[in-house]
Amino acid sequence: MSTTTSAVPVNDVSATAVRLAGIGKTFGSGADAVTALQGVDLDVSAGEFVCLLGASGCGKSTLLNLVAGLDEPTSGELVRPTGSPSFMFQESALLPWLTAGRNVELPLQLSGLSRSARRARAAELLSLVRLDGLADKRPHELSGGMRQRVALARALAAATGPDGTGGGVLLMDEPFAALDAITRDVLQGELLRVWDATGTTVIFVTHDVREAVRLAQRVVLLSSRPGTVVAEWQVTERHGAVGEQLHDDITSRLRQVIASHAA
Amino acid sequence: MPPETSLTKVSPAADTSAAELAGLDALDTPTVTRTPWWRRAIAVGLPPLVALVLSIAIWQILWAAAIWPEFQLPAPITVWQAVESRLLTGEVFSILWTSISRAFIGFLAALVIATPLGLLVAKVTVVRRAIGPLLSGLQSLPSVAWVPAAVLWFGLTDATIYFVVLAGSIPSIANGLVSGIDQIPPILPRVGQVLGARGLTSARHILLPAALPGYLSGCKQGWAFSWRSLMAAEIIAAGPLLGVGLGAYLKQGSDLNDISMVFSAIVLILVVGIGIELLVFRPIERRVLRARGLAAGV
Repeated sequence: MSTTTSAVPVNDVSATAVRLAGIGKTFGSGADAVTALQGVDLDVSAGEFVCLLGASGCGKSTLLNLVAGLDEPTSGELVRPTGSPSFMFQESALLPWLTAGRNVELPLQLSGLSRSARRARAAELLSLVRLDGLADKRPHELSGGMRQRVALARALAAATGPDGTGGGVLLMDEPFAALDAITRDVLQGELLRVWDATGTTVIFVTHDVREAVRLAQRVVLLSSRPGTVVAEWQVTERHGAVGEQLHDDITSRLRQVIASHAA
Repeated sequence: MPPETSLTKVSPAADTSAAELAGLDALDTPTVTRTPWWRRAIAVGLPPLVALVLSIAIWQILWAAAIWPEFQLPAPITVWQAVESRLLTGEVFSILWTSISRAFIGFLAALVIATPLGLLVAKVTVVRRAIGPLLSGLQSLPSVAWVPAAVLWFGLTDATIYFVVLAGSIPSIANGLVSGIDQIPPILPRVGQVLGARGLTSARHILLPAALPGYLSGCKQGWAFSWRSLMAAEIIAAGPLLGVGLGAYLKQGSDLNDISMVFSAIVLILVVGIGIELLVFRPIERRVLRARGLAAGV
């Protein structure tokens, strides 16, 4: 299932970055217990781009929290990425009292990197997301799309570590959902370019089938309440009739899953 | 899913996307218009100046109308002369120094006590339930109510004065910090956590800076309370062991039936209160809010 065609630029297919085997997560106990995840099996290879697709209540946030180490599973076996986790949210969540550059530096600062080294690395990452020379701007002086790119640079700083070899996983929780259509379109292209350039592993949560098909190498469909994996698709191409076909397949399956919750 | 054809996932021509992005950035970046400093100074400084001149004019007219006898309402010029004569002898400076140094030492001590207290109340649920209501209740207790008790405990000494100042300003500062922390968007601590900030590191890098605007307004209010409490304490608790501050000077004026002395004391108390606010707190607050894009009307 996880083998991909060689045309796709995958840095190291053999290594597993994240492994979830029979993962379950229940909140509370007794009559009030809520099962968010049940029997989730998912392997993500290093350097892979996986989209998790699901309606509300599919436990995607819970899943990301587990992978990030913010929460522990109730059952199952979980292999976490070796590097530090890094998150990107729907809102950029930049610290408003720090400049763009200092925001990117923060994860490096917390991991104890020297001032000059982290400044150099932050400049490098800002240039990667095409924000050269804007390190001294405050978040409120930037547009929504620019803020999201600063957040991407910060997440990359956390995921790749000081020298760019941290091997962390980028966890993205609908990062483009709050942007306007044009900006979202351009940023999706940017994300692919940055992913190509850095080779990080990406787990990307979205409600948007088109976004999933455009971005991912593999689309994983989750059911809701409790969340579990119901289907997976390999995406080997992005344009043309086959892409449309795939989009329609995934959409109809997603609708089936949603309809099954009617009762 | 049959993988018959395999197109590569390369992004479209890099130049085009770079240009698109640069265009979007140019269109979407918020524009900031900056007014020149002198126009801002006029806009900020002129209205209060006009108000001041008008109130002195009304005062002068009321005095000239002689509705009240001279010993109740002095002329503006007599009050000025009362200040001026003491300016020349230097007495004003020693009075001001006594009061301002007391207020500042009291305020700094209150900061040192109230900051950890506020952090505890904000972050520890049991502590909040236990003393949170008391803390906000104390804020509405006029600190002059502490003076009689303090006199009985400490006698007519500096300790009485400082106790009253602390009782007045600690609740404000602590409450300011608590509400500052309560207003932090929940996403920020979460971001700190995923970036690797735990415990004290999180307090230093996330919690305290995020709560700074609320904390500052608490400090501002705390300063106002400590100044007010100090005046109350100085007026009531006057004795040979205590230096003459503004409150004691006011009390002397009243004891001597010297209305121009009383008025000059009131004016000086006002001037110090407004001056510290304008020279110390306003610039700090302005800077903090400006850096976060929050300083619309400040």
